[in-house]
Amino acid sequence: MEHFRLFVLPFWLGAIFLLVTLLYKYISWFIGLAPDERRLFFRSLFSRSVFRSVGEVIRESLFHRKIWRTNKLLGYMHTTFALGWFLLIMVGWIETLVYFKGENVPLYVDIFFSYYVHPIFEHNFNFSLIKDALLLLLLIGVCLALFKRIRSRAMGMKRTTKHTWGDRVALSALWLIFPARLLAESMTSAVIWKFGGVVWALGEEHHLILPGIGCGSFLTNTTGEFLARVLPPDILQAGELPAWWFYSITLCAFFVALPFSRYMHIFTEIPLIFLRNAGLKSGEKVSSYDQFQTHACSRCGICIDPCQLQRDAGIVGVQSVYFLRDRRSGKLTDQVADNCLMCGRCEQACPVGIEQNKLRLNSRRERAVPVGENRYGYINGIDRSEGTGKVGYFAGCMTLLTPKILRAMERIFEASGEQVWWADKEGGVCCGRPLKLSGEIDAARRMMEYNTELFRKHGITVLVTSCPICLRVFREDYALEGIEVLHHSEYIQRLIVSGKLSPRFGGENFAYHDPCELGRGCGIYDAPREVIRSIGVLSEAKENREKALCCGASVANIAINDEGQRRIGERVAEEMVATGASAAVTACPLCKKSIARSNLIPVYDLAEVVANALPD
Amino acid sequence: MVNWGYTITRVRRVDIDSNDMSYSRKLLAEFPELQSCIACGSCTATCTAGNLTKFNVRKLQTLVRRGEYEGVRKELEKCMLCGKCRLVCPRGINIRGLVQKLKKELPVK
Repeated sequence: MEHFRLFVLPFWLGAIFLLVTLLYKYISWFIGLAPDERRLFFRSLFSRSVFRSVGEVIRESLFHRKIWRTNKLLGYMHTTFALGWFLLIMVGWIETLVYFKGENVPLYVDIFFSYYVHPIFEHNFNFSLIKDALLLLLLIGVCLALFKRIRSRAMGMKRTTKHTWGDRVALSALWLIFPARLLAESMTSAVIWKFGGVVWALGEEHHLILPGIGCGSFLTNTTGEFLARVLPPDILQAGELPAWWFYSITLCAFFVALPFSRYMHIFTEIPLIFLRNAGLKSGEKVSSYDQFQTHACSRCGICIDPCQLQRDAGIVGVQSVYFLRDRRSGKLTDQVADNCLMCGRCEQACPVGIEQNKLRLNSRRERAVPVGENRYGYINGIDRSEGTGKVGYFAGCMTLLTPKILRAMERIFEASGEQVWWADKEGGVCCGRPLKLSGEIDAARRMMEYNTELFRKHGITVLVTSCPICLRVFREDYALEGIEVLHHSEYIQRLIVSGKLSPRFGGENFAYHDPCELGRGCGIYDAPREVIRSIGVLSEAKENREKALCCGASVANIAINDEGQRRIGERVAEEMVATGASAAVTACPLCKKSIARSNLIPVYDLAEVVANALPD
Repeated sequence: MVNWGYTITRVRRVDIDSNDMSYSRKLLAEFPELQSCIACGSCTATCTAGNLTKFNVRKLQTLVRRGEYEGVRKELEKCMLCGKCRLVCPRGINIRGLVQKLKKELPVK
C-alpha cells in the first residue's frame, strides 16, 4: 500500500465495478448458451479459428478496419480511441515494469505513473515520448469527435445516432479523460519545472534537477512549462493533486457508465468475435448469444445512412441502431420492431457484423400472436396444380398478381420444350415467408409443410420460382432434399447456355435492379445480369449488387404506410432513370410493381424481356 | 318452455348505438386511411386465402369498424399475410398492418 494515494480511489473503485459487472454479464450470458453452443466454443479453442479470432480482434476491435472503409476520418477517429488508448495503457504498463524492475505494483501505479515517477525530459528516446505522442493522437481524436458532432457529413455520415442518457454521460467522461490526463501530467511537470525535483532517466539512477527543466516529453513538458510560467507558485503546488483527482474521477465516471452505454461494445466485441468464429449464430428464437450481439453494437450510426426508411420516407427512430438499443433496454415496441424492410443494407454496412435481420426477426417472433388451433386447417387436401413434368413452377402470390410474368414464363417453357408442372397457376398456398417475416414462424411452418407435401406428391426434381421471396424460404426453411430450387433467372440462364432457349440480341439498354431477397438474400447477382447481356446492353445503377436499393414494398415491413412505400419506390425509379437506360429490368414481381408505380421508366421482369426476345 | 319446433329469426339489425365503438375509434386513429375505404373489395378479390376458403377481409374490417368484434380474431387467422390486398388497394390502405394489429389486439372469441 506504499503507493496508495486517496485520489486513486475513484479510478480503483470504477475499475473494480466495471470488472465485476462485465464478468457477471459475460458469465451469465455464457451460461445461458445452449449446451451444444458452449461445446462449439470450447472445441473452437483448440482449432485454427482462435488465430482467426485473434486476428479479427486486432483488425476490428483495435484498428477498426471496416470503419476506415466507410470514411477515412471516421476510421482515424475510431482507431485513435481504440488503438491509441490501448497502446497508451500498454506503454504505461511496460514503463512501470521497467521502472520497478518487474516488482508487482497495483494497477493504479501503472495508470498514474507520471504522478509517482517523473521521467526526465530529454530529446532522446524515452517512454514519455511515446506516451506524449499517443496522448496527442488521442486529443486529435477527441477534436475529431467534437467536429463530428458539428459536421458529421465531413466524416462520411449524413446522420448520426441520437444518444441515450447513459451514452451522454459516458461520452462526456470519455472526452474529458484525455484532456484531464494532459492537465494532470502537465501540472506535475510544471511543479518540477518551477521548483526542480527528482527525476528518473531510463537505465540510470535518479537525478536531482534544477528549476527550469521540468519532466515529461514534448507535449506535457511544454504545457507544463506554460503552466509554470502562467500560474503563481502556490496555486501550482495546490493544484497538482486536484488535477490528478479530476483525471481519476473522469476515469471512474467512464467505467461506471460504460456497462449502461454504447461503450459496452469495446469489450463485448471480443467475446462476440470468438463465439462467432466458433460457429455460433442467432436463430429463430431469442437466445443468450443475441445478448453478445446486441451489446456489441457501438451505436456508431453507420447503419442509419443506408436505411431508405430514413433517407427517402423520413421514418426515424426505427433503424437497426435504435432497434438494438430498445431491445437491449427492454423497451422494444411493435412500432420499432415491425417498421423495417429487412432489406439487409444496414447489415451490409455494419462494421461489427451484427446479424440485424435475424435479431429483428426473433424479436418479432417473441411478440407475435400464438398459433391458434387448427390454423390453416382449410388448406388440407387442396391441390389445384396442373400439368405434369419433372420441372415444377411455383408462381407465388406476387407473380399471380403480375400475370405478365406468368405469361412470359409460359412462353419460355413452351419455347424450350420443357414439360412443366404448374403448382399454383389457379391459386395456391402462400410460401409462408411473409408470415415468417412477421414473426409467426410456427404458423408459417404449416404452409411450408403443405407446399413441401405438394411438391413431393408430384415428383418434381427441379422447382423454379419467379419470386425471390418464395425462393429464399424454399432454400432456407423448406426441407426439399432431392429437389433443386432455382430462381427463374438461374433457370433461364441455364436454358440459354444449354441452347434450349435462343433469345435474339436486340441491343436495348436495360438497367438492372437487384431485388433484396435475390441479391443480399440468396447471393444471386450474376445470373440475371448474364441473361440481360444475352439480349441487350446492361446498365448498372450507382448502388448495385450488395449495396443495391430496396424497392420499398418489402413484405417484411407491415408498419410502413403507402406514402412511405411510394417514395422509396420512386427513388429507386429515379436511380434507374439516371443510368440512361431505356427500361428497368428486375427479377422480382414485387420490385417490378413498386418501381413501375412512379411511371418514370418502363419496368419489366427478366422473364418478360426474355420472352419478348424469343423468335415467333 | 315448450319447443314448438320453430324460432324467431335472429335479429340482423346492426345497432351502432349499443355497440362498443371505443376500439373501432382507436383503430381509426391509428389507421386514418381506413376512412377512405370505398369497400371496392379488391382486397378480397385477390386474397390468397379467400381463393381457397371463405375468408373475406373487407367484411371483417367492416365488422370491426361497426363495433362487432365477435369472431373476427378467429377468422383473421385464416389470412396468410401474403400482402396482395395491400398492393391492389386503390386507397393505399395498409391492410396487412391492420390484420396483424387486429390479431394482436382483438380478444380470441
